[in-house]
Amino acid sequence: MSRAKLKGLGIDLPTFPTSTVGSFPKPDYLVEARAKFAKAKIERKELEELERRATAFWIKTQEEIGLDVLVDGEMYRGDMVAYFSELMPGFEQSGLVRSYGNRYYHKPIIVGEVQWPGPMTIGWWRYAQGLTKRPVKGMLTGPYTVMDWSFNEYYPDRRSACLALARAIRREVEVLVEAGAKIIQIDEPALSVRPEELPFAIEAMHLVTDGLPAYFIIHACYGAFDAIYSQMLKLPVDNLDLAISHSTLNLMEMFRRDPFTKDLSLGVLDVHSHEVEAPETVRARIEKGLKLLPKELIWIDPDCGLKTRTVEEARGKLVNMLAAVKVLRAESGVN
Amino acid sequence: MELLLANHGSYPRIGDSPGQQRLRRAYAQHERGEITSKEFDAIQTSMIQEIVQEQAEAGLDLVTDGQIRWYDPISHFAGRLDGIKINGLLRFFDTNFYIRQPVVADQVLWKGPVLVEEYRSAQAVSPKPVKVVVTGPYTLARFSILESSRYRDLPEIVAAYTDALTKEVEALAAAGATLIQIDEPSILQHPGDAGLVKAALSRIASRKGRARLLLATYFGDAAPLYESLQAFPVDALGFDFTYSRDLADLIARRGSDKAIAFGLIDGRNTRMDRTEEILLILQRALPKVKGSPSYLTSSCGLEYLPRDKAQLKLKRMAAVRAELAGRG
Ligand SMILES: [Zn+2]
Repeated sequence: MSRAKLKGLGIDLPTFPTSTVGSFPKPDYLVEARAKFAKAKIERKELEELERRATAFWIKTQEEIGLDVLVDGEMYRGDMVAYFSELMPGFEQSGLVRSYGNRYYHKPIIVGEVQWPGPMTIGWWRYAQGLTKRPVKGMLTGPYTVMDWSFNEYYPDRRSACLALARAIRREVEVLVEAGAKIIQIDEPALSVRPEELPFAIEAMHLVTDGLPAYFIIHACYGAFDAIYSQMLKLPVDNLDLAISHSTLNLMEMFRRDPFTKDLSLGVLDVHSHEVEAPETVRARIEKGLKLLPKELIWIDPDCGLKTRTVEEARGKLVNMLAAVKVLRAESGVN
Repeated sequence: MELLLANHGSYPRIGDSPGQQRLRRAYAQHERGEITSKEFDAIQTSMIQEIVQEQAEAGLDLVTDGQIRWYDPISHFAGRLDGIKINGLLRFFDTNFYIRQPVVADQVLWKGPVLVEEYRSAQAVSPKPVKVVVTGPYTLARFSILESSRYRDLPEIVAAYTDALTKEVEALAAAGATLIQIDEPSILQHPGDAGLVKAALSRIASRKGRARLLLATYFGDAAPLYESLQAFPVDALGFDFTYSRDLADLIARRGSDKAIAFGLIDGRNTRMDRTEEILLILQRALPKVKGSPSYLTSSCGLEYLPRDKAQLKLKRMAAVRAELAGRG
């Protein structure tokens, strides 16, 4: 069904479409430039120039590796929630809060009505898409995660904060679609943290995606999925990216109880490991997925963003992922 | 009915002024070997002194050391036991905070007090009594990975941690701790294991000496467990009111045979709690609580908030009680 939807959108993908979750490592020159910019030692223009250079590098690298659906690599983003909360009216930054060890961060605070400030990602999407003929995904952080990773001093409860964010984020989706994006990924890593809140997370996703002509992917990396799996099927998206390829869950049992009804992105690379998985390892993970679902429903990607790896590790992992996919495509008589 | 103001447990170890960031700098210097462990310890002590003072000035009756020396609530105690190795990071409940996961690699043995020196040094610089906080055996076990074949299942790991904590509590009571809080947030996720936690607490309670034991639950709705908790062998029960719609009504209706730590100040959100709303709950519930003293506190430790907001929350506690006293 989703395959037909993609065709309708003018996108023809091979069996086992390959993609990535969104973020790539920033090259050293960009890391240095960001540090200088933070200390006001360089102008924004100079930083943006390097962000464009790094984006172009990753578009070219993804094409060379042979990925089917590309991303801009998020060279211009620091934190996936802060990028949006810093642009949207209604947010302030809190004082420092510890996340672990000696690591601290500024957490966003919702202090007023959250609003869409005008395009937040379109410029980068257009730039990236202009560099390649392959489809580039639009990439947004979802309303539930922005809500969960922020303090809320304005809305009466978590649900109303989440729904207000959803209305603002929909505006960004609308302009992405207008600009020509056909595949849009919504990142919701917080989705499974409070199973009892999933109903309003789903309600929010309806506000974001309903009636819009695009193929929607939701990426939810951390997972207590056994508790929420059957409800997740109600998410109004075409593809669930669940990072479950090396999970210990009894997926077979879960899928037998509630048949999987969407496309599934398998998440076959462990982004938290320095190890570059051998093609055979990747292949075994894909085959595990093939025992659960027909091949027509399966997409292949890493289990999360690759930004914490080095450029070489990220490239090595993806090259081997594609090597495994090519063998499987050949074996299943398609290309 | 006596109502004491108590800090819950953890407290932000960093603020936005350069002085309030000295611990962060020292931590990095210590990691790079630029300062000695002794120098680092002195800075931790000075930060504890500062936050203990901050709590006392806000008007609290019972302060904590803020768990300033702890990496996290799980590995701090577990990691100082024989038989435990410390693994990678794991998300702590539904927070954006990460703990280091213990691995039960061999027989778990208590080598000697972990918290007694921390208690003594905090009490030495505090104008108010220091409440000791320790994570309970069930929650420690829930966050642990079992590798050793000495233990077969969760109840056996709980029993091993219970042995260690029983000795720790005995040592703390002997050192003069008057109120010891056992944190068991995990029980709210697994209410079916209430019997296991109750049995563990019975063993711990048998060695508590003259100290009062407070069982703290949070990050979940305690209402379904409320009735069974009433039979637990502790002096006081602590609740997080931010996850439950029914708890306040339940206490007002059923009453409580034990003192209660009212976690009515939201420890997870920077929004200032409304004095009126808290007063309404306290005025209905307090007369039905038999144990004394009860406590007004936050829903969980305050380390999930920035320092300035945590301080305001403490002051709000004091304002609520002043208002309550004013209304008689
Ligand atoms: Zn992820």
